Amino acid sequence: MSSKEKRSAQVLQGTLDLIVLRTLETMGPQHAYQVASRLQQMSDQSLELNQGTLYPALVRLEQYGWINGAWGKTERNRDAKFYAITSGGRKALENETKRWRKMSELVERLLLDGTQA
Amino acid sequence: MAGRKADADFERELVTHLAFLEEEFLRRGLSPADASKAAQLACGNLELTRQLHRDARAFLWLTQAGQDIRHALRSMRLSMGFAVAAILTLALGVGANTAVFSVIDAVLLKPLNYPDPDRIVQFFLASTGAAKGASIPDFRFYQEHADAVEDISAFDFGQSEMGLTSGTPEQVHGIHVTSNYFHLLGAPLALGRTINADEDSSHGPNVVVLSYGLWKSRFAGDDRIIGNAISLDKQSYTIIGVTGEGFHSEPEAQLWIPFHFNLNSTDQLHFFGVVARLRPGVSLAQANAQLNASCEAARRESKSPDPEFHCQLRKFSDAMVSYVRRSLLLLEGAVILVLLIACANLANLLLMRTTVRKREFAIRGAIGAGRGRIVRQLIVESMLLCSAGCAIGVIFGLAGAHILLLANPNALPHAGNPGVAFGLDWRVLIFAAGISLLTTLMFGLLPALDICREGFENVLRESGARQSAGKRTRRAQSVVVISEVGLSVVLLIGAALLIRTFISLSNVDPGFDSHHVVSITMPIHGGHNDTAAGVSGMVRDAQQELMGVAGVESSAATFSAPYASRMGLPFTYASNDSSSSGDAEWMAVSPGYFGVLKIPILRGRDFNSNDSAGAPAVVLINQAMAKQYWPGQNPLGQPILIGKELGPMFNDRPRQIVGIVGDTRDDDLSRAPEPTMIIPDAQEPDPMVEFESRFGPMSWLIRTRLKPQQLLLAASEQLQRASGGRPIGSVRSMEDVLSASIAQQRFNMLLISIFASIALLLASVGIYSVMAYSIAQRTHEIGVRMALGADQHKVRNMVLREGVVRGLVGVAAGMCAAAFLVRLLANLLYGVSMWDPAVFLAVPAFLIFLTAVAAWLPARRAARLDPVQALRFE
Repeated sequence: MSSKEKRSAQVLQGTLDLIVLRTLETMGPQHAYQVASRLQQMSDQSLELNQGTLYPALVRLEQYGWINGAWGKTERNRDAKFYAITSGGRKALENETKRWRKMSELVERLLLDGTQA
Repeated sequence: MAGRKADADFERELVTHLAFLEEEFLRRGLSPADASKAAQLACGNLELTRQLHRDARAFLWLTQAGQDIRHALRSMRLSMGFAVAAILTLALGVGANTAVFSVIDAVLLKPLNYPDPDRIVQFFLASTGAAKGASIPDFRFYQEHADAVEDISAFDFGQSEMGLTSGTPEQVHGIHVTSNYFHLLGAPLALGRTINADEDSSHGPNVVVLSYGLWKSRFAGDDRIIGNAISLDKQSYTIIGVTGEGFHSEPEAQLWIPFHFNLNSTDQLHFFGVVARLRPGVSLAQANAQLNASCEAARRESKSPDPEFHCQLRKFSDAMVSYVRRSLLLLEGAVILVLLIACANLANLLLMRTTVRKREFAIRGAIGAGRGRIVRQLIVESMLLCSAGCAIGVIFGLAGAHILLLANPNALPHAGNPGVAFGLDWRVLIFAAGISLLTTLMFGLLPALDICREGFENVLRESGARQSAGKRTRRAQSVVVISEVGLSVVLLIGAALLIRTFISLSNVDPGFDSHHVVSITMPIHGGHNDTAAGVSGMVRDAQQELMGVAGVESSAATFSAPYASRMGLPFTYASNDSSSSGDAEWMAVSPGYFGVLKIPILRGRDFNSNDSAGAPAVVLINQAMAKQYWPGQNPLGQPILIGKELGPMFNDRPRQIVGIVGDTRDDDLSRAPEPTMIIPDAQEPDPMVEFESRFGPMSWLIRTRLKPQQLLLAASEQLQRASGGRPIGSVRSMEDVLSASIAQQRFNMLLISIFASIALLLASVGIYSVMAYSIAQRTHEIGVRMALGADQHKVRNMVLREGVVRGLVGVAAGMCAAAFLVRLLANLLYGVSMWDPAVFLAVPAFLIFLTAVAAWLPARRAARLDPVQALRFE
């Protein structure tokens, strides 16, 4: 993997991580389907998230120690794995959010700069 | 999570997911069948999803591990100095330990190369301070009363030098054994058989078992050799067997011949060892209890070999190595101290490095690396350092072990046997890997845990502005310096005491002149040489012949040359009109002995040619004997009777003391001269001549200006002619013989000194780097102080004081430890007391001086700082 590819992948990864973390922080423990539906709902169906992307992201976040997965029952008594954000995850989310803000602000300024010239 | 469990887990998750989708579609009004289909569609390629999930699990670990290693290598490349220093430090510590441990492993820990070696035991006489010698009556007692053991066998203590005289004369190492010796040791056979009970009886035939090595080298591996005769010590022996390749007896031998004990003998000479095997199911303690009871019963009924008879069994392997155990354990102790100093240095290096890198870690932490990730990074780095250090250390260690063996004076027991070859052994490897891993992990991780505790933000704040070592780091550095100084004090005191011991030993006056004397050994047993007349006649002939050799000044011969083994015998003498008895060393020498060794005749006269077999029996005694048994009296003219009640082997006439000779320390330089009685060789009882010539070679002592090898060239023909073609054994100068007698002490001293030097080097580098580093860290602070008016002296003294105070604390701690630990050395010292004031003053003074120098260099640099630059310094 070249370093360029890796960097772009990381940005994407980071964004998805941020979204998942934020979802879990605001909604409390969720199972994967809930996370996916929530994203779809929030983005007015524009962000179609397939399982091939979501599940690896959950694995990754779990391995970082930012979220915790545990089996439980849904309201309809169905087995599901619920993911919850950890304190490490909250801190990471805070950092990621700051970074994202800074980044998007920067990108925004760059774009504006371009249109004004 | 393990792969299969993770797969199953994910499968359950997917099922749930599908179910949720189905529900969703049902809610939207699809029929159950359509809903199921739609759910499948919405999910996409399930197999791909599974694959991606699996990849994500594996990939993360792999990439991170890969990243960690790459990162570690990169950061090491960036700080080559650190990496090299750390790896070398570790390699030194591990190397020294591996070297000593592999010797200990082979000598002390590995079992003997015999079947069930832990059940082989050796008999000891407890009445005479645990001597392992036995007499024939003792042996008979063991055979009749030691029921808890089987295969009771006797063997010579040392190798007898024997002359193999069929063909070219050659000196070979042989030992006398009893018939079941081979069975006891489970000796494999290449050809023929071993000695049977008939051949071992008192009038048994002369038979010999050859070793595989001798059979190959001397007899070209001829497999029709069984039944052939060879000439050993002028007597014909029939070859009955050849042992298998790889069999080694203790002591090592090239051939074995039967003892031919006369079991009815009452001779009280202790000249062989006895080993046996515990009977199945019997423990050593039980066997000893049984033996004790038998001894007691025999003593009560006055049937024991002597009235004080006590005996004891010990494990053969322990008994064999007991004399090297202490010095090997001492070495191990010393190298562990070296390792501790190496650890301290490594800890210091890692500490400094982590402090420098705190900022890096803090930044990485701030941008999202978890603590676990950073700790893992440090573990990977430590592991890399550890494996490199360990690998190099093992190479150092194996080289070191070989050097140890080459330098080793008294052929470590069973060290050279092929079965116990030194080399890569899993135990040595585990030991080396274990200590390096422990060291690096412990000291590589401590700083990381420190960061985690402090929190990244604090670190960033602290190190962001001006890098000044935190309090914790400073304290850790103090501990490092103090322990390095302390450990060095302990090692140096040990080394200094052993050096002083060696110097005192080297300066001991042996009481004879070893310069320009050459010693040539020659096995002469067999033929007409087993009588006093035969031996003294041969010696007179040889002395005559040798006088004709250019460069030879004088010559003498004895079986009891300096530092060869010597017998102690009892004697009776008249004191205050009654008869008393005493013990003294005993030796028989040819005329000229005292002249060759320049031992002074203090009173009376030397032996001369008139002291022949038929002449009145005479004896010379040394000064120690005169002082001990005739204090304030004149022993000259007094009669003594040597070897009374020792059995018919020693049937001596009363002898008149005709002279007193100077004391010599020719047994052990560190021991005060023993009372010694010396008789002329022509008057030695024949059974004693037979005994002496059977168990030891004769030594020719020749005073000459020639070098040993030159003398051998010039005189070997004369010696051969006079002795009737006996082989020549070793040829050494007396100076070499003398220095070989203190080889063990030299070996101890040399190794401890080497270890102490390594320790000193490591410690000085360590102290200097701590001081230099802490000054570099405090550049800003010093700048501020100077800007506020502190002058150069104040700054220099402040830094100097800091170093010296640490040094003083270290020295004090080291002295306390040393004062306690020198007890372990007590038995190895000579001519110097355990708490030698000179050593206990000089070593601390030296180390304080060293710390001062190590602190002064950076202190001077600090004092010369330009405050303006120092303040700008980042």
